[in-house]
This record gives sequence, structure tokens and C-alpha cells, in this order.
Amino acid sequence: MATMPASASDLLKSFKLKTKQQELLIRVSILCLVYILAFITRLFSVLRYESMIHEFDPYFNYRTTLYLTENGFYDFWNWFDYESWYPLGRIVGGTLYPGLMVTAVLIYRILRFLRFAVHIREVCVLTAPFFASNTTLVAYFFGKEIWDSGAGLVAAILIAICPGYISRSVAGSYDNEGVAIFALLFTFYVFVKAVNTGSLAWSLASAFGYFYMVSAWGGYVFIINLIPLYVLVLLITGRYSMRLYVAYNCMYILGMLLAMQIRFVGFQHVQSGEHMAVMGVFFLMQVFYFLDWVKHMLSDTKLFQAFLRITVTCAVAVGGIALGLGMVSGYISPWTGRFYSLLDPTYAKDHIPIIASVSEHQPTAWSSFMFDFHILLFLFPAGLYFCFKRLSDATIFIVMYGLTSMYFAGVMVRLILVATPAVCLISAIAVSATVKNLTVLLRSKNKVVQTGSTKGSGGSKSSSKALLDQSQPFQKNGAIALLFGAFYLLSRYATHCTWVTSEAYSSPSIVLAARGAHGNRVIFDDYREAYFWLRQNTPQDAKVMSWWDYGYQITAMGNRTVIVDNNTWNNTHIATVGRAMSSYEDEAIEIIRSLDVDYVLVVFGGVTGYSSDDINKFLWMVRIGGGVFPVIKEPDYLVNGEYRVDKGAAPKMLNCLMYKLCYYRFGEMLTEYGKPPGYDRARGVEIGNKDVKLEHLEEAFTTSNWIVRIYRVKPPNNRCPHNVETPVVTHLGDVFPNGSNIHGQSGTCNPQNLGVCLDLLGLVDVNLGNAPTKPCCSLIEGLVDLEGAVCLCTAVRANVLGIHINLSISLSLLLRNCERKVATEYICGP
Amino acid sequence: MADHFFTFSIITLSLFVVASSGGLESELVADLLTLQAESKSGVIHLDDRTVSKFLTSPRTPRPYSFLIFFDAANFHDKPELRLRELRREFEIVASSFITNHNSSNTKLFFGDIEFRESQSSFQLFGVNSLPHVRLVGPTAKSLKDDSDVMDQGDFSRLAESMAEFVQYRTKLTVGPIHRPPALSKMQLGLITALLLLCLPLVAKRIFAGETLLHDPKIWLSGAFFVYFFSVSGAMHNIIRKMPMFLVDRNNPNKLVFFYQGSGMQLGAEGFAVGFLYTVVGLLLAFVTHVLVYVKDATAKRLAMLFTLLVSFWAVKKVILLDNWKTGYGIHGFWPSSWN
Repeated sequence: MATMPASASDLLKSFKLKTKQQELLIRVSILCLVYILAFITRLFSVLRYESMIHEFDPYFNYRTTLYLTENGFYDFWNWFDYESWYPLGRIVGGTLYPGLMVTAVLIYRILRFLRFAVHIREVCVLTAPFFASNTTLVAYFFGKEIWDSGAGLVAAILIAICPGYISRSVAGSYDNEGVAIFALLFTFYVFVKAVNTGSLAWSLASAFGYFYMVSAWGGYVFIINLIPLYVLVLLITGRYSMRLYVAYNCMYILGMLLAMQIRFVGFQHVQSGEHMAVMGVFFLMQVFYFLDWVKHMLSDTKLFQAFLRITVTCAVAVGGIALGLGMVSGYISPWTGRFYSLLDPTYAKDHIPIIASVSEHQPTAWSSFMFDFHILLFLFPAGLYFCFKRLSDATIFIVMYGLTSMYFAGVMVRLILVATPAVCLISAIAVSATVKNLTVLLRSKNKVVQTGSTKGSGGSKSSSKALLDQSQPFQKNGAIALLFGAFYLLSRYATHCTWVTSEAYSSPSIVLAARGAHGNRVIFDDYREAYFWLRQNTPQDAKVMSWWDYGYQITAMGNRTVIVDNNTWNNTHIATVGRAMSSYEDEAIEIIRSLDVDYVLVVFGGVTGYSSDDINKFLWMVRIGGGVFPVIKEPDYLVNGEYRVDKGAAPKMLNCLMYKLCYYRFGEMLTEYGKPPGYDRARGVEIGNKDVKLEHLEEAFTTSNWIVRIYRVKPPNNRCPHNVETPVVTHLGDVFPNGSNIHGQSGTCNPQNLGVCLDLLGLVDVNLGNAPTKPCCSLIEGLVDLEGAVCLCTAVRANVLGIHINLSISLSLLLRNCERKVATEYICGP
Repeated sequence: MADHFFTFSIITLSLFVVASSGGLESELVADLLTLQAESKSGVIHLDDRTVSKFLTSPRTPRPYSFLIFFDAANFHDKPELRLRELRREFEIVASSFITNHNSSNTKLFFGDIEFRESQSSFQLFGVNSLPHVRLVGPTAKSLKDDSDVMDQGDFSRLAESMAEFVQYRTKLTVGPIHRPPALSKMQLGLITALLLLCLPLVAKRIFAGETLLHDPKIWLSGAFFVYFFSVSGAMHNIIRKMPMFLVDRNNPNKLVFFYQGSGMQLGAEGFAVGFLYTVVGLLLAFVTHVLVYVKDATAKRLAMLFTLLVSFWAVKKVILLDNWKTGYGIHGFWPSSWN
């Protein structure tokens, strides 16, 4: 009986852990909790809406993933998608980063193998949270590598809930960035580890991490430019070492070979300007190694100095010449617009409207930083200072990563995502170092009493501090107060992150939510309503024209062919759509017919007050259209530089296709109590053109809240078989359609004045469109087409133009040049 | 006889008039050409006297058209009018036109009028808003009503669209626009030569390890600058060309420094907040790395207290500003029984 308690206490004793083990246990359990937290905080979107794919791009990714699961990898790799970019089509395998899809399918297969009956959609929805959880682990190890395990833990906690990262990794946000941030941080971590240890294994791992990153996201360009920059800084500051040599060379050579296996990258990796820095540093590295070796061989320093000067000058000169030759011969392609716009931020705004138009490419205001980082912003400079106080290869890396990505985040809102891991890590250093100092202070007091002045309790800094502070009676209380302050701040951070995740970043943007008058949630599910309508009610091969934002969704959910989509690879094609949307209906119908369009889809928020609709995006359509077709001019749609849709709007605005399609029948609609009919709630004005008549299109479907409106393109009218093969020949004495005779209408048609049309009738190539047409056009203004043609014929016959033309003149060409829309070919008869 | 004499005298007189007016016209053109040659860009500076000499007094049709830029030196500092930029573009059009026609085209001249010195000319043209560019054709009798105004759309693409306007209205081709290169060839050559000269020196310094680059303080301040630059949204200000502050529309004496609404900011606003961010971080670093070495206990305590108060105030201020700006009320999801 008596032995039992003894053995039990023995057992307990054997379970009792040593301090080291206790610490490990606490650390591992914290990490597990963080891992779970990172996952579940991203599930708000599933709880609030449902398990579905969000936004625009993820729908394309989802569609391709579906294709991959159904048809296997090789079909996917060679897939030619004829359902988008009609009539061009798209080679999908060669124009995407397959990492995300392959990852999702791999997870799906593993789950299937383990006998979990899941649908591929659920896997896609949860891929991003899963990888976010993995990122927290990487952040822990990275923090441990740079500073200590405490900083690693804090970094893991911070990054788990940081809104800047959550914005792109909530459940349903099935986008490249979801896995890419993991790959990015992993590559960096492993590379730093390789530099610290000089081990081939770690550099091999970083090459593979880089390969995964290249396969997942175009942002790999950041890695391949940051790493050489880092190496360059190390070289300049005299931190060259054999470890660096091994890590960099192995990573570059293997990483390059692996990256070239991705079809979308291919030979760009050795040819394009963006990848030149890494190659240049690679050669520089060899020069350094060579010099080191020579220095080792030569004992005479003077001789070495001379040798050094010659070699460095030669190397730089040879490099410069090679780069110049490559640029001139076209072997090295120049930088792409996207890359260029990062270095010279005003570039995109002036030159590439298609990049500047995207909302996530806008420059960042301070409030966005605050929203995405909260207190990390305050801690970041402190962390920077800490890093500078303890400079090592690893801290130099994190400082450079932090600063470059911060700069890029300032240029584009979406790049806050790339900066987030760095900001979390650096802030974690600040938090961890400060808290550690404070706690050491608290504990050292007791230690001072017990053991006298032992120094070695904490880190080097804290011990010195503890020593200094011995004589201060208030120090303990001060430290407690400061600790409370720190924890208060951190708890505010947690509150902020949770709130932001739940309210701002969990919206799928395909289902819209608003607060009703009584605080209740109203859900607008119009997008899916429209896409399912397309799927059910239109012919299988129908082509849908819409602005490119909705292309991916229409193909993925509506299963119909689109003209343009979010892969903005062909600017001209997008500009054609922009031109159609911003032209008058009868001009637009020609473009629409030439593209074989059957349905036109517009998004309209005037009823619900949804502000990112097509009317608000319209100026970008005009800009992008005008960038390729100069007939579209932005000032035509503005009144004194102001964009309006009410009565004071520009006439071209009030009659363009987009306006008509959005506001068709809207003039009869009462949207808000106490406001006139046709009151647009998104713009807060009464619309200017309430009597919209459509000639060539007809309304096919409007969703319940009018957010999506679909129009059918009417077939050409049977009763007027006018076409170019059978021109209308006008004769003297022809009767105008309104019944009056040619000679009776001298009020509007005065052939004697038509001398100004001389330029147009044969002497000038009217196709150019820039001939001085205005005086001529103003003369035949007010005449219907046939009248104009007859009038001109009369002028030709009366020889007022001073030329005798026997040819039949293409009058339609002239009329078209006067911005008249003619479906008929007119020819002057004898 | 008297009758004959009368007729004869009328004929001679009219002949004389025709001849003299022809001579007058060519004289005017010659004057203009000299004025044009004198000016650097080929834009002739007009004032009240020359306006009457070249535009109001000669009989129509004049042998030339005049494209006039209306300028006001006292508005040059208003960025929203873009007067300086437009004037520069106007000069580019003028000089391109002149070089493309080898300074021998007498059909079109470019001129500018300054508001302060020629107010009556402004009235003559009926100009009451800037920027304003006007084309006076050969046949224009009344300067106010018969001349063509270049509208906003023709400024939009700067020199190119101005040239189109000229082409369209006067039927004269301007030809390719010659923009002056950002750096002249001479400068470019000098810079390259300097760089090449410096290269061995710099390389030597680098290997010797004694440049400024080896001083961590420089790097540190650079790092703080980059941080401040990014978080204050300076990039946003540059790209969007945001002004430092706005003048309140309702009350012109009041200045607006803070703009309500996320995704937009004013210049001063960003810098103020960026400064607050940086101050808190720096104070924390100061406390942990500098203050601990201070020997005097009271000084230490005072500094500590000061730091705490400033940090608290700055953080509070930024969070309040952010909530005000974005309109978000952030709150925790506590159980409702806790409230």
C-alpha cells in the first residue's frame, strides 16, 4: 500500500520536465495554436457567406484546376482554350503559372487517397488558409534564424493575423498569392540559412523553393532581384565569404535551370532585362573568388593592388559591353511595363492605362498602411534600429527585404502583401527584444538578491541593462507598467486584425452584402443569378461581350465564350471592346457584329448603390479604347474635365452604348423615396437621358437588383437587304425618303457650296480619318444619308467641284468620314 | 476735263494705296520674322502696341495667322492651371514649326501676351479665364468673335494635340515635334566620362573598406528615410500629383490639411502621419539602446515619462485619425454579455 504513492510520485517526477523541456513544450504548443489560429481566422468568409470562390482571378484558377483534375496534367499543359478571347483563343498551358493548380490537385489526390470524399472546390477554397498556416511556421524558423526563438514566435503570431496577408489568403481567395507568399518566405528563409551555414543542402533547398515560387507567381521577379542586390550589398560592405559564394552560386544556377522548365518563363530567365542583375552579380561573384585566389597566391600587396585595379575595370567594362550588345542586338529584351512602373512609378499612369486602371495597382495612402499593419508600423522603425545594432548577414537581409518591399508597397497597394512578412519579422524583433528586456529586468531583481551580480541570464543587451538598473527602486514597477502597455497594444492589434478580417477582407465580392435600414444584412446575389441565367438560357456557343473584369467569371460560371477577360495579354482586343462600349449604338453594332457577339453584359449599380460598376469604370474603357483608336477622345465624355451622368453630361456620354445599356428603362424606375424617377443611387444624381431607345440590341435579362444586365444582339434586319454588293445608285430627280424632290430642298442641300468637299472626294485618302472634314461635314449636316448622297451627286454632276469625275465615287466613304453611319453603298449614277 | 482728272486721280490714288498696303504687309512680315528670330523659342512676345500693329490695324485679310498663348506670370505658381507646362509645350510647338519650315514660313506666327502688361489686349480678345490659346486667322476682323479658341481637349495631349489643332484650323502642317532631350549630348558625354574616371577610385575604396558605405549610420538613416517615404504615402503624392493642402471651398481663408476618405490623401497629411509613425519607433529604440546608459536617475525617469507620453499621444492620434478618415469603427467581437 505504501509503495503505491511512492511509485506514483516517482512517476510524476519522471513526468516533471526540466526547464529546457518545459520551454520546448510551451514553444511547440504556442506554435500549434498559432497554426490553428492562422487557419480559422481565415474562415470568416465561409461562415458569413458560404464556401465559394471569391473575386475574379480565382475563378480562372478554379476553372483550370477543374480541367486539370478531369483531364490530367498533359492535357492541361497543352490546353488551348477557345472559350476566352474569342476569336483569338488562349494557350492556357503556356500563359499561366501552374503551381497553384498543381498544388491544389495534389492535396485533392492525397485526400482522396486517404479516403476523404471531398470536392475539388472545397480543396480550392481552403488552399490559401492552409498555406497561410504553413507560412506562420516558416516565419517562426526565419525569426529564429535572424534573432532568436522568441522573435520567431512573435513573428509567427503577428503574421498569422496580419491583415495585409489575410487580404489575399482568406478561404475562397484561390489565387496565386495564396501559395506564393509561403514560397517567397520559404525561399528567403532557406537562402539566409544557406548563407549562414554555407551548406550545399540548404542552398539546394532554396533553389527548389525558388522553383516552386516561379511556378506559382509572377512575383518571383522580386526574389531574383532582391537576392543579387543583397549579395551586392554584402560584397560592397566587405562581407564576402565562402558561405555566400556557395549559397548564391548553387541557388542561382540550379534555380535558373529549374525556373526555365516553367513554360511561361522559359528563356526569359536568361534573356529579359529583369533577370540581368542576377546574372551580373553571378559573374561579379566569380571575379571576387578569382581575386581572392590571386591574393592568396600573390604575397606582394602592391602587385595585387595593380592587378586588382586592372581586373575590376576589365570585368566591369566587359560586363557593360556585353549588356549593351545584348540590348542592341535584341537578345536581351527590355524591361516590361509592370517592372518599369515599379522603378519609375509615374510610368504606368502615363503609358499603360491597362495597368493603371486596376484598383489594386493604385499608389498607397497612409491609411491603407494603417489598415493593413496597424501597430506594426510603429514597431517597424524600432525593429530596424535593433537590426542595425546587431548587424549580421541575416539581419542585413531582413532589413533589405523590409525596405525594398516597403518601397514597392508604397507604389502599389497590392504589394503590401509582399511587404507583410518582412514587416512582421522586423516588428517581431522589436517586440521580442523589448519584452525580453523588460522581463529580464523583472526577474533579475530576484536574482540580484539571490545570486548577486550574475550577468549571463539573458542576452548581451539585457544583462548590461539589468546591471545598470540595479540601483533603481522604481524600475520594477516601471517595467510592469511598460509590459502592460505592450500587451495592451498587442491586444489592440489582435482586435483590429479580427475586425478587419471579418468586416473588410472576407467579402467574396461576387456576393455583395449591405446593411439594410434596420441594421439587418441584405445579400445581393445578382452576379451568380446572371451567370446561371447565361448557362441555362443561352446557346452553347454564344459569345458574351463585357468589360474584361467579368471575363473569368463568365467563362467559369456561365460556361460561355467571352471576348476579353482578366488575362490582359492583348491590349488591342480590350481596346476594341472599350471602343464599342464608348461609341454610339450604330457604330458599336458594327464592332459587335465583327466580333460575332451574341450577348452584351453590363454591370450597373444605380439601383443598389453599388459603386464599382461599369459606369464608374467607364472612363477607363474610354482611355484604353482611345489609347489604340484615337477616334475615342476622353474630353468628349467630360464636361469641363468633370465626369457626369446627369443632365449636364456630355452629349457623347449620354448616347454612348455603355450609357444606354446601363440606363435602359431606368428612367421609369423609382429607386429612392422622395427622389425623382431615374435617380442613380451609386452616383447620387438624376440621370440625364431617361428616354433610352435601343435599336440593335434588346434587353434579354436583368437580375433582381439590376446589378447585371444582359442584352441580346438582334440579328440584322431582313427587310433592308442593303449591302455593299448592291449599291444604291442615285439618279437625277430621285425622290428623298421624306417625299421631296432634289431640287426643291435647296435650303439644306446647296450643291454650290460643296466645293469644300473637294479634298474628300478623291484627292485625299479619306481612310486616314484625319483629313479636314469638318467644313464639308457641316454642309451636309442635317441631311439623312440618302439626301446627303444625292446632294453630293448633284454637286459632282454640276461640276462645282472643278473636277470632272467619271468614276463612281464611294460616297459612303465620305459620309462615314463625317461620322455618319451608313449601311448602304451609294454611287452616283450617270 | 475735271471729270477726267477726278477719275484719273482716283485710279492713281487707289493704285498707290494698293501698292503701299502691299509694301506695308511685307514690312510687317519682315518685322515679325526678325522678332521671331530674336526670341529663343520663336514665340513672339506681344503687348498692347504690337497687338495693334500686327493684328488690329492691318487690313484683312492679313497675310498671316497668329496663334497666341495668353499667359499670366502671377498665376505661374498655381499648379492646377498648368500654365508653365502648357507654355513650355507651346514653345515646343512653335520651335518645331519653325525648324520644320526652315524659318521661312510666313503664314503662321506664334505669340504670347502677358496679363499684367497688356490688360487691354486681354479685354480686346475677351479672355477671362486661363489657360487660353487663340488662333487669329487672316480674315478675322474682330479679335474677340472671329478667332478660334483652342478648347481643353486640345491641350490634353500637350504639344501633339496643339499641333493637330493648328493643322486642322490653318491647313498648315506642323510636322514632327522636336522635344529637347532631357540631357544634352554634351552633358551626357561629361557624365559618362566622369563616371568612368571615378570607377577605379570607387572600386579601390570599396576594396579598401573605407567608403561612407561602410558606415552603418549612413545605412541606418537611409533605411529610416525609405521607411518614412513609404509609409507617409509620398509615392502616392508623386504619382497622383497631390498638393500639400487644399483651400476649403466654402471658406477660402481656411486650409484643408486632412482629406476624409480612404485611398486618397493630401501631401502634408501623409508627412504628418509618417512622422508620427517614425517618432514612436525611434523613441522605443532610443529608450532601449540609449537611455539605459544615462547615469542620472531623474533625467532617466523624466525622459522615460516624456517618451511614454509622446508615444501614447502619437499612437492615439494616428488611430483616431485613421478611424476618422476611413470611417471604420473597429471593435472587438467580445461576447455581448461583456458590454
